[in-house]
Amino acid sequence: MYTRNLRIVTFAIVSMFFLHSFAENNWNVPADKKARNSTIKFDATTSKVGESVYTKNCVSCHGDPTKGNSLKSLSPVPPDLASAKTQELTDGELFYILNTGRVIMPSFNNVLSEEDRWKIISYIRSFNKDYVQQLSISDTNKSQLVKVDMAFDKKSNQITVTVKANEKTGVVSLKDDEIVLFANRYFGRLQIGESQRTTADGVAVFDFPKDLPGDKDGNVKLVVKVNDDTYGEISRLKTMKIGVPTDIPSMTADRTIWNVLFKPIWIIVLYTFGVMVFGCVLLYLLYSLNRLRKAGNI
Amino acid sequence: MSEKEEKPKKKSRREFLQDIGIVGVGTLIGGSAIFAGINYDKRKKQGERIKVLTAENELLEIEKSDTTKVTKSPLKNLTYLQKEGRDGLKGHRWVMVIDLSKCRNARKCMAACNDAHHLRPEQHHINTLKMQDAKDTPAYYMPKPCMHCDNPPCVAVCPVDATFKRADGIVLIDNERCIGCRFCVAACPYSARVFNWAEPLHSHEDENLTYDVELNVPQRKGTISKCLFSADRLREGKLPYCVSACPNGVFYFGDENEDAVTNGTTKETVRFKKLLEDNGGYTLMPELGTLPRVYYLPPKGKEYPFQDKDKKEAGERLES
Repeated sequence: MYTRNLRIVTFAIVSMFFLHSFAENNWNVPADKKARNSTIKFDATTSKVGESVYTKNCVSCHGDPTKGNSLKSLSPVPPDLASAKTQELTDGELFYILNTGRVIMPSFNNVLSEEDRWKIISYIRSFNKDYVQQLSISDTNKSQLVKVDMAFDKKSNQITVTVKANEKTGVVSLKDDEIVLFANRYFGRLQIGESQRTTADGVAVFDFPKDLPGDKDGNVKLVVKVNDDTYGEISRLKTMKIGVPTDIPSMTADRTIWNVLFKPIWIIVLYTFGVMVFGCVLLYLLYSLNRLRKAGNI
Repeated sequence: MSEKEEKPKKKSRREFLQDIGIVGVGTLIGGSAIFAGINYDKRKKQGERIKVLTAENELLEIEKSDTTKVTKSPLKNLTYLQKEGRDGLKGHRWVMVIDLSKCRNARKCMAACNDAHHLRPEQHHINTLKMQDAKDTPAYYMPKPCMHCDNPPCVAVCPVDATFKRADGIVLIDNERCIGCRFCVAACPYSARVFNWAEPLHSHEDENLTYDVELNVPQRKGTISKCLFSADRLREGKLPYCVSACPNGVFYFGDENEDAVTNGTTKETVRFKKLLEDNGGYTLMPELGTLPRVYYLPPKGKEYPFQDKDKKEAGERLES
């Protein structure tokens, strides 16, 4: 009985401590998001990948974990992610913070894949020796059941996205899911319109801009991202011929004062001809001088 | 029937000897042919043995027929890098957009740039200037890289074709060709070029590096260096060093052909022309007709105060 009481008291103290720290962090993470866990197991490999993603996206503000070299000129000052305050947060909370962002912290929801975001958390957790991971109980293979269809209607310039899951019991439409449509660009993904929610039939309709450049045939690589609570995050890529065909000549194609690569044939011919004429005149002069010298010798 | 029985097929002595002779000569000729063949093969094999050097630096001799050809990866030697650097990335036209309303003078862009290109602290490919246009206008910070003009005066004046503009719009300098005449420094209205007056930083450590024209490393004393739009990073599909180092979301970088620019901090991609239109984008010194590829968004609605210690420097020019 005594041990049981002790346990309850300890639990109460610990939870109070946690609640206090949450109030201070003040992220107001919804309860269901707070309990969310990663589907991938954190290990040295995931933490290594996470580190490289971290260096690209986070280090400029948060600095290197444990070094305390975050950017102090920002307000609020970004915390050192190896600090106890950050490590107290649950995986779900860290994931939520990464997804939504706040004030000067950007949202990484549409920038990084779900896998990369979890790997960042894996890297952050590698600085906490006491950390024990709780894996998500949801089935990771479930996302493969989802089928995403994309159809373009030329008349209305709209893309219709249909999301369905092939369950054993039959085809299920995913309703009220967040759908985001992107066009792939060289450095990132350009979001097309606002994100939509699927109807009861699993359908979302996007207005496609008429002036979006594609490649020289007008092909645009489109990415659809579906966020579903049971099936997880699903991303599908499809190339469609719906962009404006763009084939702009390279900058060195035209003749300009600075473009030495551009050599018109007439210049090459004229120049060669000029050099030859000059050479011939020189030779003729030398020949004449030689004749003069010979004439003088006699 | 009876006739056949009377004349049995019996070889005469002459025929028998003839046959023996044919078989004997045949065997001799055949045998010698095989012998010669084997000998020839042996000689051939011996002739086609070649010497190879293994990765462990061991010299071995093997049959040529046993070797398989290995396709070489493109040589990363000087000539290759120079050609690659001169050609550029076809089908792209890089643009940079600098949002002045977000710059807080963190100077992380400068640090990342100097680090990547092995520059001395006083040399700047990109410099964050403290600006004040008139006595009563507000002061602001302005990062200033090379403008990578579409009509570059610096390239036009170079007497040795050391500085050049590529297919994707980047203006680069080939330190292997540069003779250090500094005509380009005089021609550039944006003061974007730096000269290596002294022995470059890390020159001792960089001694054995192959010169990369897209990185300007190793730097060379007595030659020019300038902002390269991080041409080496663009080749890998990464944002330039300065763009990804900025903590305040000042820089957007992208491809004009794709009409998209990506913010280095938030990694958010937006339409390039819409960004300029919505925020009143402009270029520096448009009256010179240099057609810069770097666009600025005005310092409207700054979210930070201009630091007092920088005010004197910003207003220096106005006092006289």
